[in-house]
Amino acid sequence: MFKFFSSSNVYSLIQRLINFINSIFFLILIIGLTFALVLSPPDYLQGDSVRIMYIHVPSAWIGLVCFSVITLLSVLNFIFKIKNFYFINKSIAPIGLLFTCLAIVTGSLWGQPTWGTWWAWDARLTSMLVLMLFYMFYILTFKLLKEEKLIIKVSSIIAVVGSINLPVIKYSVEWWATLHQPASIKIVGSSSIHSQMMLPLMVMLLVFLLYAALIFLMKYKTEIIRIKKKNIKRI
Amino acid sequence: MISNFITMNGYGLYVWLSFSIAFISCTVMYFKTKRTLQKYEQEFLIELQALTLKERSKALENSKVAQQILATSSKVN
Repeated sequence: MFKFFSSSNVYSLIQRLINFINSIFFLILIIGLTFALVLSPPDYLQGDSVRIMYIHVPSAWIGLVCFSVITLLSVLNFIFKIKNFYFINKSIAPIGLLFTCLAIVTGSLWGQPTWGTWWAWDARLTSMLVLMLFYMFYILTFKLLKEEKLIIKVSSIIAVVGSINLPVIKYSVEWWATLHQPASIKIVGSSSIHSQMMLPLMVMLLVFLLYAALIFLMKYKTEIIRIKKKNIKRI
Repeated sequence: MISNFITMNGYGLYVWLSFSIAFISCTVMYFKTKRTLQKYEQEFLIELQALTLKERSKALENSKVAQQILATSSKVN
């Protein structure tokens, strides 16, 4: 089992996965964009501005999931000292930052025609901004600090402290009166979104997930090469 | 119909700007990541070439990753 996770096996698996994602990505992207921009109906209240949802919602979800994974792996790395988790986190963080920024920017572009303002210091928007700042601090530890042990310590603390913000983001629309609408899609219970909008949303989520996986694999592969390069004399 | 698609019934600026920003930022990140990966592959190969013949063959024998990087770069070149 552990032999399977050796760097050589992982490296060849990464290459195969990258090739697989590359082969299907553009087809799914075209299907997703056709659904999002052409086939899905406009909202009865928001009109065509609702199409921004197909970028905004998957971006926000991926931003949140990435930080959850970073927190979990940081804690596990802190306890069990599994160095691979450190490299995985280092590869995930820029993806999470990108999608969090996209969620904020597209949210702002959706807010202007819907609420009449680009930005409001409302609980959901502010907590997403805080998440973006935590991502920035997290990535800065890799850039500014030199010693690996210190990086692991500082980045783990940032991840754990930042994770307190995650339930705040999720429940902010229920705890406080916010401009942002409550969740329309629920994992438990029935969702209030029509299937004609749900389908494009899921296809666009798949597109973003594939993109995130592709970037993660490329970054993780870079990390493997970086380590091998460092230890080339010892090989 | 095409005009409606472009203007999005008055929301075109917001919709197209959202999709464009997402597309551009994702493309930039993809190429930046790809370039960094290629740079590290090249640097690894240069370091491998700098080894003596004996060290190099031993490194290639012991590291499947080194073999795979060499194979990938041979395909590209």
